[in-house]
Amino acid sequence: MSAVAAKPAAGSAMNPAAMAVGIVLLILMIGVAYILSPGIGLMALIGVIIGGTLIGFGVHFVPVGGAPAAMGQAPGIATGVAMLAAGAGLAGLFGGAWAAEQGLVVAVVTGGVGGGLMMAITCMMVNFVYIFGMGIPAASGKVANDPITGDSQAEYKSQGTEGHGLPFISFIGGVIGGVISGAGGTLIYIELLDLYKETLPSVMNVTAAQVMPIAVAAAGMFAVGLFLVNAVLTAYNITGTIEGPHDPKFKRWPRAIVASAVASALCGLVAILIVMPM
Amino acid sequence: METIVFGIGITALTGALATVAGAAEDTESNIGSQGDPNSQVQLAPQMGFMHRIFNKAVAGEPPAYGLWCALGAGLAWAFMAMQVNPVLAIVLGCILAVFVQGVYATTAYLGRTASLAKFGQPVYVDILKSMTTVTMAHAFIAIFCTVALCHLMNAALGHPFPLPLLGLVWGIALGAAGSATGNPYYGKERQYQNQKFGAGVPISASGNIVRYAEAGERNSIDNGFFTAKIGGSASGICFGLIVFLELWRTILFEHVSAGWGAIVVGILMILIFTVIDRYMEVWARKNYGPYTEVKEASS
Repeated sequence: MSAVAAKPAAGSAMNPAAMAVGIVLLILMIGVAYILSPGIGLMALIGVIIGGTLIGFGVHFVPVGGAPAAMGQAPGIATGVAMLAAGAGLAGLFGGAWAAEQGLVVAVVTGGVGGGLMMAITCMMVNFVYIFGMGIPAASGKVANDPITGDSQAEYKSQGTEGHGLPFISFIGGVIGGVISGAGGTLIYIELLDLYKETLPSVMNVTAAQVMPIAVAAAGMFAVGLFLVNAVLTAYNITGTIEGPHDPKFKRWPRAIVASAVASALCGLVAILIVMPM
Repeated sequence: METIVFGIGITALTGALATVAGAAEDTESNIGSQGDPNSQVQLAPQMGFMHRIFNKAVAGEPPAYGLWCALGAGLAWAFMAMQVNPVLAIVLGCILAVFVQGVYATTAYLGRTASLAKFGQPVYVDILKSMTTVTMAHAFIAIFCTVALCHLMNAALGHPFPLPLLGLVWGIALGAAGSATGNPYYGKERQYQNQKFGAGVPISASGNIVRYAEAGERNSIDNGFFTAKIGGSASGICFGLIVFLELWRTILFEHVSAGWGAIVVGILMILIFTVIDRYMEVWARKNYGPYTEVKEASS
């Protein structure tokens, strides 16, 4: 059996002990934030945890085929999952940061739509190259019929492959993944920006106007970093490739949620500690 | 009104820059053989197929371009802080970033190819000398266009992110768009030109890449020439559309209904692309037809 044809076996099961340890760690870190800064610091950490969890969950939707997809041997987008998700989410973060002045809800939704738009264009162009550049129709290797359109898949798989291109369910998965990830990244940015705008003037003894560029840059860097942390965690969870929400690997998402929450809490705590006078 | 017209002009310019950047990025990654298709370049000697293809998977394209664009943008930003003219500052920043790309390309080729010594794959010094400069030239175009559009976003359109952070964000997005769109064309259509057109590469053929050209052995410049026509232009259109539409909807509609106008327009665009994608999918199924007789699938 080739590596492409290998089905996920062990590793998809939940580990209750590890989950419990993760949740205890999460509560501990929230407790530390509460002790340090019960108001804005705690709110920022909770925002970071929710945002990070959204990123971790959203990446599961993104159809990524990795190297086999580059040869038309497997469905999905021919690049790495963390990279593609980061590209989409960061495009969303770009839009969300621009809309930060218009309030949390508008900014987060703008970020989500930005990520979704990036994925919609990318997925459409992937199918464009497959269909008009290479003459290959889209076919899934994981389901007999597309769950949305009902199109049969098996007879459209060329011989010796696991499928190719992006069937409609994978396209929709990509857009949903971009929306959720973009919204999560923007939420992290907005929460950290609010924290830094509030605390940095007293920490650095400068005016609120002077601190703005530093606050924007620091919040942006942490948002980008948290994006990559959560995208890579998810890449491990799905072992590199996934077709989208119809892929059996998608069912592993609860494990990634806990992992993303703990990792985001730790990173978020560091982001808060740098502006807390000790 | 003048602000909006100015914004639309800048948006058009950034869209054009992004299109050139996307095309140059994909062509650079194909000449340098970066990204997922390089797995076959690395695999071929292990299967007994020696070749003269450049072998440079420094990292995935998104983080690699994230690094180079952030570097170019950061250096340009530093030069601008020293009161250097922005155009000159961006050119100087990008030249320095390209030298870093060249160092990565050289060490990646030597290291990766040397690791294949036990399979008899030689390190071709003439390939190193002739290909590296070509990848660097294409990388310069991609990085320059990306840093220039980031500068326009920051200085002309007023995006709050500083230039180096914009370079990182759009560098990663550039690599993501370029690799997603361009990789299959290089990986399947060019590397496996000896396989049937209109079908994926059978897994059993892995590693058996095309190694001979019309005259002599194929090299990576031949690959760049071939993929620039469709893979490169499609990557350019992809990244150009992403940048242009993201800015266009923001510039024109962000003040409509307190920000919700840009959101609604974004959702409409997503729906339009969804319809186009579905149309293409159905078109392909109808015109290309199934590979085998329609039967009860048992996947």
